Amino acid sequence: MASDIADRLMELPESSAVSLRMKTEHYFDVVRAILDVFAPKKELDAIYVTCTIPSASIINALEVLEIPVDNIWFVDCISQIMMSPAQKHEHAIYVESPTMLENIMLKVEYLIRHSASNRKDLIILDSINSLSIHNNMKILNEFLHILVNTLRSKNAYTLIFSMEEYETDEVRQSVNLVCDQTISVKGD
Amino acid sequence: MPTPAKEPSAERDRCRSGIEGLDNLLNGGIPRGNTVLVTGSVGTGKTSLSVEFLIHGARSGENSLFISVTESSEKLLANLIHYDFFEPRLLKEGRLIFMDLPLIYERLGLEKPEFDLQDTFILTKVIADLVREMKTKRLVIDSVTSVCYRLKTQENIRQFILDLGTALSGLGCTTILVSEISPGAERYSLFGVEEAIADGIITMSNLERRGDLLRTLQIVKMRGTTHSRAKYVLDLTPVGVLLVPLLKGGSIAAG
Repeated sequence: MASDIADRLMELPESSAVSLRMKTEHYFDVVRAILDVFAPKKELDAIYVTCTIPSASIINALEVLEIPVDNIWFVDCISQIMMSPAQKHEHAIYVESPTMLENIMLKVEYLIRHSASNRKDLIILDSINSLSIHNNMKILNEFLHILVNTLRSKNAYTLIFSMEEYETDEVRQSVNLVCDQTISVKGD
Repeated sequence: MPTPAKEPSAERDRCRSGIEGLDNLLNGGIPRGNTVLVTGSVGTGKTSLSVEFLIHGARSGENSLFISVTESSEKLLANLIHYDFFEPRLLKEGRLIFMDLPLIYERLGLEKPEFDLQDTFILTKVIADLVREMKTKRLVIDSVTSVCYRLKTQENIRQFILDLGTALSGLGCTTILVSEISPGAERYSLFGVEEAIADGIITMSNLERRGDLLRTLQIVKMRGTTHSRAKYVLDLTPVGVLLVPLLKGGSIAAG
């Protein structure tokens, strides 16, 4: 499945903003497709904004999947709010809470500038459903609109995760408004 | 059909702060020669913004001078190494100079709690002479509030800011005067005089929204250019000050 998803991602033009709809069970197939196939093939630096699972857990999972994190950076918006003893990873920066949407934009901007490489950027927002738990739709719409258009102007790819089980019509409409296309991940 | 208002034909030369977001909000930078009040309460990023303005100036070949009133230069210099864009050669080459005002007071025999009008003239002249001799194009005084404490009367403060601004502008020097105010203050300077005389006011504050504290920046006034008047959220990072628009969709309790 991961290679099918990667094939579809490879067809995307530069600066695309894409909604990736999936069932929770397909989450790791999608992550593998993006971080193990799509990003390396396109030589992209990946900025993974996690609002669902702490970055430490994702990094552990990537190690198990033997996906190197050399070109992956994390904006972790959930570890601090969980009050868990922070194990800081050198590839992770932290936002105190998923309600600090401006700070998410600022950290993404910082990582784009910090890398200062010639490689293009890929920003993964995981997930819109988690963000909608912590924020009202008005501010979330505004956030998506500004974030996606800013990234587009920097020729970056934006992938927004949406978990089908937790998707509401409001969230779907909000994502559709800013994304160029939707890729629905289906099982075999 | 009504005739459209005439645009000024000659754009004023700009002093680019080097802070990309801020320069965009100012349509290219601070009009050269302006005296700008950067005002805010503690921890809002006034000194960081001012220092970055000087480093970028020094990097682009403009002599830049920081006159420190409250904090020792040594302490400030220790913080510079955290910036990715700082180069120690700027200090060695004299492009970027840090100076402690208390040392200047000492040399002038102005070690007294209150200045009269004559002392104010002397201080203005000394700063202007420094700028002239060093061919300074960017100056920061951090903070002007601490200087104003010694000037006591509103007349003295007015005279000091007015004379200083006129002298520095004449020398082509773009100046930032850092102004300290208490959180929630309804004016932009402690004595209420500085804000009326300055060419520009940039206010920095802490905005609380549903328990989250955000650092914000807003340009209230800037003579010689059109500019944004919206509020922006900022972050102080090793690559410098970064700005994004303040989202308005949520319930904003204050600010």
